[in-house]
Amino acid sequence: MLRCRRSGRGVSELRLEAVGKRYGLRQPWIVRDVSAEIAAGRLIRLEGPNGSGKSTLLRLLAGVTMPSAGKVTGRPHAGYVPERFPGGLAFSAREYLRHLGRIHGLSGFEVTRAADDWLERLGATDYARAPLKTLSKGMCQKVAIAQALLARPGLLVLDEAWTGLDQAARGALDAAVDERLGEGATVLFVDHDPARLADRVDERWQLGGGAAVTMTTGPAGNGPAGGAGSVAGGARTAAGRAEPVALEQGAEGAGSQAAGPGSAPIAAIIEVTGLEAGSLARLGALSGVLGASADAAAADDPFLKLGPVQVTVAVEASDSVLRELLSWDGVHVATVRVSPVRASPGPGQDGHSTGSGRR
Amino acid sequence: MTALLRYQTANLFRSHRWILPLIAYALLITVGGAGSGGQALGDGLDWSAAILVPVMALLTRSMLTAEPAAARACVSAASGPARAQLATLLAAFAAGAVLGLAGACYELVTSGHKTALLVPFIAGLGKALVCALVGSSVGTLFNPPLIRHPAAALLSTIAAVVVAWVSSISPANAALHGSGAAIQSAAWPAGVPLAAAFVLLAASWGISCWLAGRRAE
Repeated sequence: MLRCRRSGRGVSELRLEAVGKRYGLRQPWIVRDVSAEIAAGRLIRLEGPNGSGKSTLLRLLAGVTMPSAGKVTGRPHAGYVPERFPGGLAFSAREYLRHLGRIHGLSGFEVTRAADDWLERLGATDYARAPLKTLSKGMCQKVAIAQALLARPGLLVLDEAWTGLDQAARGALDAAVDERLGEGATVLFVDHDPARLADRVDERWQLGGGAAVTMTTGPAGNGPAGGAGSVAGGARTAAGRAEPVALEQGAEGAGSQAAGPGSAPIAAIIEVTGLEAGSLARLGALSGVLGASADAAAADDPFLKLGPVQVTVAVEASDSVLRELLSWDGVHVATVRVSPVRASPGPGQDGHSTGSGRR
Repeated sequence: MTALLRYQTANLFRSHRWILPLIAYALLITVGGAGSGGQALGDGLDWSAAILVPVMALLTRSMLTAEPAAARACVSAASGPARAQLATLLAAFAAGAVLGLAGACYELVTSGHKTALLVPFIAGLGKALVCALVGSSVGTLFNPPLIRHPAAALLSTIAAVVVAWVSSISPANAALHGSGAAIQSAAWPAGVPLAAAFVLLAASWGISCWLAGRRAE
């Protein structure tokens, strides 16, 4: 089982509440207004161009840096692998791991065994006694990975941890991530290789300009072209001026993507809350809206707030519809996902909703 | 916390960042005692306490800049940035305290007097403690994460050490002058310099630990 000694919080989930980060009052926001609930056992990939705040968001999640706004709660005991681990400390690899293992809460006996075990798994046993200062970039990276995994943390945060590793060590790290997930830990990572753990990824967070985050669930859909890509872009634009939007992509969407991105008949399904019954007609009049599911009984009173309404939108128009919806008073976009077009999109078509992105 | 302290102390010793403060302290103590051959124990202790201010500031600075950002990030993830910072400051203070104690013992051994040593020795240790606390505060307040520019940090640390020595608002200055021959400052009753130094230390360490999590990149 997990050894989350320091956390002791049991099943509480990791939550981000309107988290923002900037390094100084006059500095720009690097990450802004990110809200999410992360269930245990999920593998989450962060994507985005250079400078989009991936590393900063990872550091916030790992507890390395504190948010300038909002808060992070329910964080389990975390292991963090930085983007670059330059050594620079006057320890040998083994000594460093022993120190870090103890800081992670392991006992003296456990830590020696765990350190040697991880050095062996990552293929660094021969360098265990070498000073960190003399190690190559790849070897240093292995030491950084080993320290994060020593105490089998409930939260593993990997910032381009695969970069610089040899093939065998990459495989070992993939296996280690699997192992952590298997034990119910949450793993968040950034990597340049779009295929990295692609079949295991539960969620993708797209970070773009404007310090907003778009969250996608589902394993596939890593190309910028195609339906998912265009919806993600739209959601990002809209989220920049409203609130972070959760973008969901169900399993069907993934299937149609694989069949041929861009050409498959897919539509975006936007789930909104806070819509008034009287606004349904206005909604239907928007160009690109193919249909909306709502509780028909509610239509008597035009000012009645409806429950979640699923709006089916042509992918090409999703951008403008999202923007329009976000400009309406009291309306919140809960999730956006991509799905093959069906005759009548109804509640039965629900994907798995995480509720991430909601405030 | 024990693990963090072990790690930071080991880092201090392995990185050889203790050598410069040790040499500086040893040199200044011997130089201070050299001219006056068999000076009064109280004077020797005052001197060793006074130079503990810059030595402690230097040690604190060394520790605050010893750990690469990436290594600190790994520790912070495991323990929280504030605790990691506190351990760093504590390790530096412990090393400085050992130096201070050694310095006081040196003065005791080399002083000309052979009798009635206990009272001045304990009084001297009290002053050394005040100076150690002030030195640590100075090193904490004028180095990262509060002042991150290397040149600005170094210059302001030196300036602050001078202020701590000569300014009448400094607890270190008050302690050193307080029990000296006849000068008993009315503004600093007995015990107040020590209390003020503790308050200063708590404030500076508090700010440093708070900022460590916020300015960590």
